[in-house]
Amino acid sequence: MLKIKNLKVAINEKLILKGLDLDIKPGEVHAIMGPNGSGKSTLANVLSGKNGYTVEGEINFNGMNLNDLKIEERAQKGIFLAFQYPLEIPGVNTNNFLRTSLNSVRKARGEKELDTLSFLKLIKEKAKELNIDEKFLSRQLNVGFSGGEKKKNEILQMKLLEPKLSILDETDSGLDIDALRIVADGVNTYKNKDNAFLIITHYQRLLDYIKPDYIHVLSAGKIIKTGNADLGEQLEKTGYANLS
Amino acid sequence: MKQSYDFNIEKIKNLSLEEKISRQKNLDLFYKSGFPSKQAEDWKFTDLNLILNKNFENISNEVNFESNKELKVVESFQHNYIFLTNGKIISSSFAYEEKSKILIKDFRQKEKTNLELGNSLTLLNDALSSGGFSLEITKNYKLKKPLVVYNYFSKDLKNKILNNKNYIKLNEGSELTLIDYNDGHEQSNFIKNTTDIVLLDKNAVLKNIFIQESKSNGHFYKYIKGSLEGGASYEHYILSSGLKLNKIEIEINLNKEDSSCSIFSALNLLEDQHQEIKTRINHNSPKCKSYQKIKNVLNGKSKGVYQGKIFVEKVAQKTNAYQLSKALILDDEAEFDAKPELEIYADDVKCSHGSTSGSIDSDAVHYLMTRGIPKNEAIKLLINGFLNEVLEKITNNELKIFLEKILERQINGH
Repeated sequence: MLKIKNLKVAINEKLILKGLDLDIKPGEVHAIMGPNGSGKSTLANVLSGKNGYTVEGEINFNGMNLNDLKIEERAQKGIFLAFQYPLEIPGVNTNNFLRTSLNSVRKARGEKELDTLSFLKLIKEKAKELNIDEKFLSRQLNVGFSGGEKKKNEILQMKLLEPKLSILDETDSGLDIDALRIVADGVNTYKNKDNAFLIITHYQRLLDYIKPDYIHVLSAGKIIKTGNADLGEQLEKTGYANLS
Repeated sequence: MKQSYDFNIEKIKNLSLEEKISRQKNLDLFYKSGFPSKQAEDWKFTDLNLILNKNFENISNEVNFESNKELKVVESFQHNYIFLTNGKIISSSFAYEEKSKILIKDFRQKEKTNLELGNSLTLLNDALSSGGFSLEITKNYKLKKPLVVYNYFSKDLKNKILNNKNYIKLNEGSELTLIDYNDGHEQSNFIKNTTDIVLLDKNAVLKNIFIQESKSNGHFYKYIKGSLEGGASYEHYILSSGLKLNKIEIEINLNKEDSSCSIFSALNLLEDQHQEIKTRINHNSPKCKSYQKIKNVLNGKSKGVYQGKIFVEKVAQKTNAYQLSKALILDDEAEFDAKPELEIYADDVKCSHGSTSGSIDSDAVHYLMTRGIPKNEAIKLLINGFLNEVLEKITNNELKIFLEKILERQINGH
């Protein structure tokens, strides 16, 4: 699904990713762990298409060269990034935003756009699954939401847009244990043989709930070690320092 | 450059000799200064003389009031209505009300309605006004449904100037929501110079909403002079995007205790549209409140202006006055000018003002795009969010939805 070969990324003439390889197949859950400043969020940003990065190397997503796609096209073709810090957007009604987003994606996929009533029915179901109070949906996007509410809102968007590849950038940060469980359940119930996840995290904590097939350790812009789920527990004990 | 006019009082029908004389005096006064230019402090951001010179020739006040336009009402919310063509009443309906409580008729300018405003456009209005309506609501009568004033314009208005005066009086304890609804895709350039006189007696409540339904080559100027008695409340919403030129000047006199006034505007200006809102709120009595929130989005080569003055008399203790102007400037050639002014002679008051202008939040655009929304749609969503906020206090839900749709259309360029 996603094949990255020798990816180098620079920002402000500083090299952040220094030749990264990654191969994610449908049905797989990959986790990327690593110390601060290792380039984890840069990887997430580059995949989502954020401006300001100089990118070299190959990123292939389902046969398409990702660098050729605009930001919104990536989303329309099935890449979803759950932000580490979801933005507060004053004035923009959450429901209105979600409907515009869903319909943009549906339109691009050649599906029929949803009218207000069908949309509301759908969003209510999805919100309920994530234990999100309906009244949040009529509020301004993320404005005055707690950290946990913002993260749940990201997962809600993921479930609504039904992406093929979901990238969760430190979704566990700022979550209490109950919210963490709800978010993890949200991911686990969405997971199937056709979609894949890339989970970026500092800690083993989230991986106790979402079992990864592979764990990669990113350090100084390169993947220095890849293992199975046990690697996470090992890292929790020994830290990153002993790996490099 | 000298503007050429063809103004003639004889073209106004049914005037008594006294009226003619009084009007001619006003016309002579107008001729002394002509249309205002940027040399006048109040017009420094809107050089009307220059704009008219560029777009008009031989402006005439000869206006035909006959209408053969099919009357069509908005169906999305229940309302009473008045139809005006070129400012004159064609028909009216108060189907939802007790008719004896409402007095509606053609405006008749009496000999001494000179407002002594000293502005050359109000002088011109005093000289040439014809058409217009006079509306009075009986004591303690609260209209059950809003009143929509449909403004239609005939097709033969090229190089014409319309001068209308409207008079709105709400007696003690009465309430009215009045929507000025401008409809029609006017291709030809014309000028509309309107003076509204608003009198609100004790505890009367007027909500006034200005809507521009379509894109228009109309060059509009409106002077609103409001006087409020104790506990009266005036709210004005301006959604006038689409007009080529628009200047709304609002002077509100808070004459007795506990009267209040709010002014909101949400404008999305395109191309070379130019709109100005100028306010003067006179706190003439203690414990009055005023609130202003002015929001502008400037695209293309458009220009937005806000001049807002709060004046607090020495006796007006415990005044609470607030004004805020926010602008989003989307193109390099667009311009926004703000001139906030506070003039305060009382010592126990709460007055604040703020003005910001900036570009659109690129992180927010990025966030929306990562959700599959194309860039131009993302920007529209953000503009809508920015402007929509001014409608927060509209309590009639049907009306609010209607206004939100108008705003959305205006953001899409009609």
